[in-house]
Order: sequence, then structure tokens, then C-alpha cells
Amino acid sequence: MELDFSPVIASARYLIEGLQLTVLLSLLTILLSALFGGVLGLTRSYGPSWLRWPIVFYIDSMRSIPVLVVLVWTYFALPIITGVVLPPFWAALVALTAHISAFVAEIVRAGVLSVRRGQLNAAHALGMSRWQSIRTIVLPQAIVRMLPAFGSIISITIKDTAIAAVIAVPEFMNRSQTVAGQSFHPIEVFTVAMAVYFLILFPVTRAVDALYGRLAYLGRS
Amino acid sequence: MIVDSPTQARTGRDGRANGQVPVVSYRDVVKRFGTVTVLAGVSIQVHQGEVVCVIGPSGSGKSTLLRCTNGLELIDGGEISLDGKPLPHDWNGMRRIRQRMGMVFQNFELFPHKTALNNVAIGPKTVLGLSRSEAEDRARGLLAKVGLADKAASYPAQLSGGEQQRVAIARALAMQPEVMLFDEPTSALDPETIGEVLNVMKKLADEGMTMIVVTHEMTFARRVSDWVVVMDRGTVIEQGRPQQIFEAATVARTRDFLSHLGWAG
Amino acid sequence: MTLDWSVVPQHAGALLEGAKLTVLLAVVTMLVAIPGGIVLALMRLSSIRALSLAAAAFVELFRNLPLILVIYTAYYILPLATELNFSPLATGIIALSLNVSAYNGETFRAGIASIRKGQSEAAFALGMSHWHTMREIVLPQAIQRVFPVLTSTWVSLFKDTSLVSVISVGELAYVSMRVRSQTFRVLEMLTAMAAVYWLLGYPQAKLSDWVNRRYGVKE
Repeated sequence: MELDFSPVIASARYLIEGLQLTVLLSLLTILLSALFGGVLGLTRSYGPSWLRWPIVFYIDSMRSIPVLVVLVWTYFALPIITGVVLPPFWAALVALTAHISAFVAEIVRAGVLSVRRGQLNAAHALGMSRWQSIRTIVLPQAIVRMLPAFGSIISITIKDTAIAAVIAVPEFMNRSQTVAGQSFHPIEVFTVAMAVYFLILFPVTRAVDALYGRLAYLGRS
Repeated sequence: MIVDSPTQARTGRDGRANGQVPVVSYRDVVKRFGTVTVLAGVSIQVHQGEVVCVIGPSGSGKSTLLRCTNGLELIDGGEISLDGKPLPHDWNGMRRIRQRMGMVFQNFELFPHKTALNNVAIGPKTVLGLSRSEAEDRARGLLAKVGLADKAASYPAQLSGGEQQRVAIARALAMQPEVMLFDEPTSALDPETIGEVLNVMKKLADEGMTMIVVTHEMTFARRVSDWVVVMDRGTVIEQGRPQQIFEAATVARTRDFLSHLGWAG
Repeated sequence: MTLDWSVVPQHAGALLEGAKLTVLLAVVTMLVAIPGGIVLALMRLSSIRALSLAAAAFVELFRNLPLILVIYTAYYILPLATELNFSPLATGIIALSLNVSAYNGETFRAGIASIRKGQSEAAFALGMSHWHTMREIVLPQAIQRVFPVLTSTWVSLFKDTSLVSVISVGELAYVSMRVRSQTFRVLEMLTAMAAVYWLLGYPQAKLSDWVNRRYGVKE
């Protein structure tokens, strides 16, 4: 089997631009999901009970529906309802954020739950208000425990951006497909694509494993 | 304490006096973990039918010595022999040796996903190649011997600590070993259940089983053993007949150790 | 905006066929990936360096690649590498199996490692071989222990089957989108697709939660 990587090299610039978009989409998604998911998770744990069940419904629904479906629906179906057409990148951002936030919300809930109830009691006994005790006692401990799971979210997000290729977002996966199709050398192109994704994701996975190892001693506080 | 009478003279004593080949012999055994020397030249002889109790403070290397005996740890110096032949250094060689020794662990280590009967039967079945019915017959017999015939179908989680340990003893006996090794068999038990385990051990001793017992149960050591080895910080500081050790120890550290345990002799 | 929801019941048959294929994909993949994961875990824990490294490399590779890329690559590489014709369905199953086996490999490795050392020591003390010890004592306990994690993996797998639609495997996503193209009823069909996934996935997610609560390892 003869391999010819020249089409890849010829399109290097095109592919790198796609990679930049992958990174951008991933970063924005992570940031927005951390924010939105954090709010969701905290509201679920500490907010009014009437908000609880819609949030739980939202989270469980996002766990049940594939990312591909959310992406496609957001890009093709949502405009029909709202009358607003979102360009592919923005549709992907909305869809991915909606999806990943649900997982972040779950992580926040688990993190908060893992801090022993006695900690909150002790804070109240000292005269702290509810919000004060959450902010100064529970959250710092919870956030440390959430770190490894959040690291996994980073990895999952980067992988999910590749699915955005399906709705014509010109990120790295999409552009690799284009080059593969035009050059008739799919093997070489996809091999390079695999190498690139591996090089980006491997350090993230490693860091997450190390975090899990370092924090394993924590268990419950 | 249920143990009630000092043991009668057994072959062991004569064997020790007559210079018979010991069943197990330790000669200048050395064991290191990294930079820490846990055994610093241990020499002991165990004769046929003898009960040898190894006592001493925590960290003295008693458990390690036992684990070196059946190859769960490999020694770094000296020699351990079974029936006069030094122990091999390879896994498969040691595997055959282990079939001739039985070990009882401090926290029982019963297999939680198997019934008491299957715990006892699994050794003969998988290692000795007995048929299922033969292995189960043997297992039933042994469970009856340790007083647990009615618990054959129970899972370890349903048994008390003392019952689990007795099943563990039956499991080790199922292999028909030449030597039984006990690693602090009652240390993890509630006081009420210690007696039932020690009784089983005494019964075994009376039947002539060669036993090496690491224990904190001084009354048991005093009444059942033929030979007592006192270890401290990796060496044998004193060894001798139980009356001598418990009533007239010659080494100061031994006397200190025994008095700390409240042993008035 | 005029909506015509009648397309959904009209094409219910096709959607059902798609859903059936989705379930088939997930089931077949798991049937391959559970033994696959156990084999990988045993290789990883083996004292033979070559086996251990090969398994580690395999697991690391597939944990760090987007599944959609693996699917595309399999689609192009398999026919060339083996000189055989693979149907999209077979390609999809292979790609999914490789991916899930890698995750299961890590799951089983952690599960086996979590079994107390004393258990294998007790087995060795009886004279049992490494193989017997693993087969009779360690593996059965490890499998029981990782079962909750496997249910979570299943839930993810069920959703991931949608990705093989990109190589024209006729599972639920592919069928839904094809009907959408044929009828031009975009909102109706895409919403129906989401709804069917939700109807299938929601109970599975809840069941997995229950299993994890009931049988999960508590710290």
C-alpha cells in the first residue's frame, strides 16, 4: 500500500485553520458550559424546589439524546421555530453548550453532595448565612473534588466538536473530510487527523488520570 | 479461656531432643523491603507434630516470616527448608510447595462470592483435581470437624468472624497440608468468638498437626505450644519451651514484653 | 410556519426499523466489547511486557480519538487493509466495538485492581495458579464490582450508535434524516427523532442511575 501524504501537506494551511476553529469552539463551549452548568447544578442543589424538577428533566433529557441529534436539531429545526437562522458555528456552540452543561450540572451536584453535611452544620453553628456557608465552606471543597470529572468534560467536548462537522462547521474534522474527498487519499488524511486529535487529547486524558490519582485520598471529607 | 489443659508430650519434643530432621527450618533468614530490613538473620527449627508459637511486639517481623515460609514473600538471604529441602525460587516450584502448607490469615480472606462449602472445596477441586462430589464430601467432613456442618450453604457475609475463621481453617486443611501456618488468627475477632477458633486450633494440635502460629494470645501459647519463639525488630531474641519463656525468661526484653501484656507468669 | 405532524405516523414503520437497528448495534457492540475489555485488562495486568504495552497503547489510542473520526477511518481503511468488502453496518460495528472495548479495558483493569490483594494471596496459599486465581476468585468479583459502570457505558454507547449514520448505516438517526430529506418536514422529523431517542434513552439512563445507587461502590 503506497502512502502519499502530499495532499495533506499541500492543504496544511486549510487544515490548521480548521484546527483553530476546533480549539475555539472547544474553549467557548467549555467556558459557557461551566457557567451555565454551574448555575444549573447549584440551583438544583440549593435553589427553590419548584425549579428542581425542570432542571432535572433538562439534565436527564440531555443525557438521553445523542449529541448528533442535538446539533442537527439546533441547526435545522430551531430556526423554524425562532425565525432566526444561526450560522453553523453558533448553532454548534449553542447545541454543544446545551448538551455539555447538563453533564457539568451533574458533576457540580455530585461535588456538592460529597462534602459532608456536617460541614454545613458547623458553618451554620458559627452563625454564617446559607449563602456564606456554601460559598466559603462547601464550594472550595467541592470544586477540588470536581476537578477530575471536569477534566473528562474537557476531553469529551473536544471530541464532540468533531461531530459538528456534520452541520458544516468548518472545523478540523470537517476540513479533513473535505481534503480527503478532494485528494482521493482518505487514508493519509485521516491518519494525520487521528494523530492530531490524539496529540491534543492525550495530555488532557493524562492530566485527568493524574488528578484522579492525586485526589483519590479525599473520598468523602 | 476455654483452653483447659497443658498439652501432653508429643513427638515434637522427642524429635527436637533426638535431632530428627525438622519439618520446617529457617537458617539465617534475611528479608528487606526497600531499605528497611524486616528480618535480620532468623534461625528456627520446627519439628514434626510441634506447635511453635511466634510472639513479639508489632513490627518484629513475625508475619513477614510466615509469609516467607509459603513464598508470598521471597527472602533476600539465608534459607528456608521444608523436609530438609530448601524452598525453590520460582513461582511454579513454590506453587507445589504451597499445596503442602496451609495458611490462615488474620482477616480470614474467605472468597465472598462462594458459599462456605465451596470455599473449602475449591482448593481440592482446582488444585488437586478432585471431582466435584469428592471435593464437596471432603469439604463437608471438614466443616463438621470445625463445628460448622450446618453452615455449608452460607455465604461469608452471613457468618460471624469466628465462624469465618473456622471455615478458613477448614479451607486450609482441605489440602491435607504437612504444616499449618497461622498469621494472628484471632487478632481480628471479637472476644466472644476467639475461644471457638482457639479450640479448633487446639484440637488440630492434639491430633499431631505441625503448626507455626503467630499470635498475641499468650494463654494459648503457654498452654498449647511446644516451643515459643520471641521476636523483636527482625531477630529472635529468645526461644525455648513455654514454661521457660513465660516463667523464667532470660532476656530482659522478653520479660518487658510479657509484662506489658499483663502476663504475670 | 405550517407544520404537518402526520409525516411522523406515516413513516412510523421506517422509524421503528431504524430504532431496531440502533438496539442491534448497541447489543452486538457490547457483546463484543465486554469480553474484549476483559481480555485487554488481563493483557494490561500481564507480566509479559509486550502484551501489557500493546493493551495500554490500544486503550490510550481509542480513549483519545473522536468516535466519528474512527468511524470514517474504518470506512476507508478496512477495505484497503483487508482486501475484503465490508458493509457499512459491519464497519460501524467494528468501529464501535474498538472504541467501547478500549473503555471497558480501562473499566475492568480498575475493577480487577480494586480486589484486595489478600484474596489472591489466599488463593495462592492454597496452591492455586495465577490463571485459576484470576478465573475463580478475582474476575468474578471484579465483574460484579464494575457492573454499575458498565450500565453507564451502555447508556453512552446507545447514543453513540447515532454516529454510524454518517456512513449510511440505516439506524434511527439515518432513517429520520432520510425521511426529513424526502418529505421536507424538517422540524417534525427532527423533533420526532429526538423524541424517539428520548423515549428509549431516558428509562435506560434512570435504570443505570438506580443500578449505580444500589450496587455502586460507596467510599
